[in-house]
Amino acid sequence: MTTQTQHLQKVDHNALKANQLTIITLNLLAFIFNLPILAAIVAVVMGLGSLLKVPGFLPLYRYFYKPAGLLKPDVLEDNPEPHRFAQFLGFIFMTGGSVSLFLGASALGWGLVWLVIVLAALNAFGGFCVGCAVYYWLARIKVPGFAKTPPIGFFPGMKPKTRV
Amino acid sequence: MFNVDVLIRAAIALAIILCSIGVYLLYNWTLKFRTGSLLTDLGPKHPGAFTLVYFTTPTCVPCKTVQRPAIQSLRQMLGNALHVVEIDAAERPELADRWGVMSVPTTFLIDPRGKLRHVNHGVARAEKLLMQIHGGR
Repeated sequence: MTTQTQHLQKVDHNALKANQLTIITLNLLAFIFNLPILAAIVAVVMGLGSLLKVPGFLPLYRYFYKPAGLLKPDVLEDNPEPHRFAQFLGFIFMTGGSVSLFLGASALGWGLVWLVIVLAALNAFGGFCVGCAVYYWLARIKVPGFAKTPPIGFFPGMKPKTRV
Repeated sequence: MFNVDVLIRAAIALAIILCSIGVYLLYNWTLKFRTGSLLTDLGPKHPGAFTLVYFTTPTCVPCKTVQRPAIQSLRQMLGNALHVVEIDAAERPELADRWGVMSVPTTFLIDPRGKLRHVNHGVARAEKLLMQIHGGR
């Protein structure tokens, strides 16, 4: 256990979960009904979220998941940056997937979409954020722009357990 | 209108989801093989008793409102036949990581022979835990 000080912030993990659940649902519908346009919409929303530094489907959390009582705020002490990076990584995969689908490379396109589904599911149901783990790994090898370290005592990418 | 293509795609999606659930169950299954090395974390042994390892945090609401009362009623029912080890995951994160705890509450049911019987990620009600102790799912 180290004694380094960390400047953790309040991160509502259920806002992230709502984002992941929506991404999973829409991507599954896109795959089942063969709707590349829906995958492209998910990509655009994730891109907008990355740009605005919020979960892309945050309005759905605020105006649907929370009022409907499906999810309640779960505010934990965490670094928001790795989660933003994870969403950006998802945006890259979704953009690659959507472009591939529109270019006719179905296997590659749906493969990338499924990769996002699996990673989002791992985060939503398993509490492990692969994109965050990648962020912390990049920080460890001192890549510029990646400065945060995981909350003390937690494996990089693992959901912290300290509630605010 | 559902056509064959949609049904095939839905079947593929279902197969992938089932495979993922299979991988999850496999992960839980592998935990059983690690129990031997983990039991040293639990302190003195209680021969003949089931051990319930309960990971929680002070601010976990479902732990307070559902999980703890469930464990208390189980304790009352089973008396000395159940030994409960409560671990604060926020205070001992290294232990939570070693046990593969990804969220709280998480409960591990270990039989009197020291074998891990069940892992419950999330709230496990008294009836469920009782069924697990009596050998059911």
